[in-house]
Amino acid sequence: MSTTTTQSPAIGEAPALELENACVGFGPSSARHEVLSKVNLRVSPGEFVAVLGFSGSGKSTLISLLAGLTVPDSGTVRLNGHVNPLPGPERGIMFQNYSLLPWLTVFGNVEIAVRQVFPRLSPKQRREHVQRYLDMVSLSGSEEKRPAQLSGGMRQRLSLARTLAMRPDVLLLDEPLSALDALTRSVLQDEILRIWDEDRRTVVMITNDVDEAVLMADRIIPLKPGPEATLVQDFPVTLERPRDRTTLNFDPRFKKLRNEITRTMIELNQETKAHATETLPAPPTIRPIRLNAAS
Amino acid sequence: MKYKLIRILDVAGLQVFQPLVLLCYGEEPRHQLKQIALYIGTPVLVMAACVWMWNFLGPRHKTRSGEVPTPWRVVEAYDGIVHFHNREYTKLADYEREGEAREEALRKAQEDLAGLDQAFLSLADEADGVLESLAEDDPSAPEAASTQDLSPRKIAEQRMAMVDQKVARLAGEKIAPSQHLVDLQADVYRHRQALRQWELQQQAEGLTSGDTDRRVAYVDQVRDHQSQTDQEQAHLQQLREELAKVKQANTPEVARLHRNLSYLQQQAEFLKQRINLLTDGSRAEKLATVGTELETAQADLATAQGAELFVAAQNVLRQEQRLARVAGSRLSTPPTFFDQIATSLKCVFAGFLIATVVAIPVGIFCGMSRVVMASLTPLISLFKPVSPIVWLPIVFIIVGGFIEKPEEAWVQPAFLSSAITVALCSLWPTLVNTALGVASIDQDHLNVARVLRLGLWDRLTKIVIPSALPLIFTGLRISLGVGWMVLIAAELLSSSPGLGKFVWDMFNNGSSETFAQMFVVCGFVGIIGLLLDRIMIVCQRLVSFDGAPSGL
Repeated sequence: MSTTTTQSPAIGEAPALELENACVGFGPSSARHEVLSKVNLRVSPGEFVAVLGFSGSGKSTLISLLAGLTVPDSGTVRLNGHVNPLPGPERGIMFQNYSLLPWLTVFGNVEIAVRQVFPRLSPKQRREHVQRYLDMVSLSGSEEKRPAQLSGGMRQRLSLARTLAMRPDVLLLDEPLSALDALTRSVLQDEILRIWDEDRRTVVMITNDVDEAVLMADRIIPLKPGPEATLVQDFPVTLERPRDRTTLNFDPRFKKLRNEITRTMIELNQETKAHATETLPAPPTIRPIRLNAAS
Repeated sequence: MKYKLIRILDVAGLQVFQPLVLLCYGEEPRHQLKQIALYIGTPVLVMAACVWMWNFLGPRHKTRSGEVPTPWRVVEAYDGIVHFHNREYTKLADYEREGEAREEALRKAQEDLAGLDQAFLSLADEADGVLESLAEDDPSAPEAASTQDLSPRKIAEQRMAMVDQKVARLAGEKIAPSQHLVDLQADVYRHRQALRQWELQQQAEGLTSGDTDRRVAYVDQVRDHQSQTDQEQAHLQQLREELAKVKQANTPEVARLHRNLSYLQQQAEFLKQRINLLTDGSRAEKLATVGTELETAQADLATAQGAELFVAAQNVLRQEQRLARVAGSRLSTPPTFFDQIATSLKCVFAGFLIATVVAIPVGIFCGMSRVVMASLTPLISLFKPVSPIVWLPIVFIIVGGFIEKPEEAWVQPAFLSSAITVALCSLWPTLVNTALGVASIDQDHLNVARVLRLGLWDRLTKIVIPSALPLIFTGLRISLGVGWMVLIAAELLSSSPGLGKFVWDMFNNGSSETFAQMFVVCGFVGIIGLLLDRIMIVCQRLVSFDGAPSGL
């Protein structure tokens, strides 16, 4: 099953990030376990794409493929035309479990990235740069704390600040808000949107929340659950920005889109399950003995 | 302030004392008191019980170095060690004193020596008192001792000798009746044995050949005779030992006087040595002597002619060399207990440093590369269990091969081989823990390094080492503990200066005094080991970012 996902707001523009028939699998060739199979994806510059999937459907593998941390077994990843580039700060990835360095302070965690990406900054400029991004995610005042002393939401914001401070061309967010409670989550959603709105960078966000995807993305692509997960028909989100979460719930277009996506997701899931049962060995044909066969 | 104190206690691994701090701030006094009673009071009680048991059991075991010393004897032995240390260092300083300071010290030493006279005289008086109290039991008049022309020290010694004589005579008199009884008993036994033997011989005459039954019975009779003789001998032996004990029993008063006298004698010797060092024996004095000799030699050189000139020139050169030698000389004193501790600490840190420098990089390589780990695992598993007692002779010979002239080398081969042995035995915990720490680094942290495109060096210093640091320090802490334990054994075996050698010397000396000093060493080794461990705990707590609790 090959799906074209070429529709984007700006048709004809060269994609910033592109996957072409990318496959990733584990295990020896005799017992190969395909996680991703023939994934095609084109993300235009400045586009906000949400990839929607059930848990365990290969979402994290997809994002590490996009970040270059995993190399595809076949197919290609292209970043601005470069084939299978090494991971680097131009693709800022925000890891699902924050990946903060526990021995560094809040400030140090951002600084290590800034120092590496912008080695020419003077110490004063560097400090200002770090401080700007800490202010952006409202972590001012906690600069000297260690990650262990932060709440879950603060860690997530720090991880975001570190990623943003690298000023990446492409922002890869791996379930950035999954570990948060609903209230903190909505605050951070607005925050990410505000930051994205400032300079319209390319964003690929992985999520399992349909509402979140509709609220934030330009385009939503469901991931058909694995094994052999792949991306299927995408849904453009045409709701105009800025989208207000309070009024959105009453917008008929929002409701329609959400229902459509939810239905597709459920169908995909059932399809996969059906596929899984098909592969089971067929039960032997047993019929009840007809004792009164003579009659 | 309160939380600061608690934090300090926490970092130092002394959480046990937390209730004390809280009690001082009046927080839940009943609860805190209960905590103190349970977790401070009980351990103190157990300690006290152990000391009591030691005090009780020690004197009941006799060895060839006297009985096992009680805690109080060990404290006294420690005092002796401190005295020795102070005296050696005073002498060392005296040797180098010059001018005003020297005269001041000399005056002081002479005054002290004069003061000792008083102490000797009062000791003699005490001895007289003892003599008088003994005279009540023994009316025989003491021979009149002439005290004229005698120094106070001599008087005291003489009096003590008289006391000893008297005590011995009294003891002899006291046991004389018992002695007589024992002698009588011995006679009785001897006669009985002779009688039995005679009877048996008579019986033997009457036995005819071929009478097997009677012969077997005869053998039994002889056996009875022998066992009876053995019993009688054992009884006599026991009686004699009891007598000897009574005879040797010294009154505590006399024993105390003896101890005082020996202390005063030592002190007097010491002061005499000091006075000698401060006058003729001092460096300044020696320099002056050599200086005058040099001047004479130079005067000879000025007047010498022909062949004599050569001899005179040689003489001048010799005197100049002597002058240089004396100017740089120090008084050679035997190393004291505290010198030995310092040497041991130096040695353990030298070994620990070698171990750290080797183990941490190797551990990091092992942790980073599975190939390195696989190739080093056989070596590590093979050498890890080798005992220091095996390493030491091997290392000793190898190091000896490098250093051909030990007296000129900048480092003593014995010291170096002890340090290397310590390193060889203590590097394994650090190596294994470092490898474990590096190997178990979070994959996410490595991904951060990849995304940031950190170079090898940055990845090591910014991600790998900080992440492995808590485990590295755990390893270092174990290493230091092992090193300290190994070092004492290594020093004992290699006779390199240090606490181990101190123990060995004490063991070879074999007096009851040195036996007690070995217990002092035991205590000091324990306390220093404890302190080293505490220091490492504090370091570990300071570098650990996860706030992991430290064990005791």
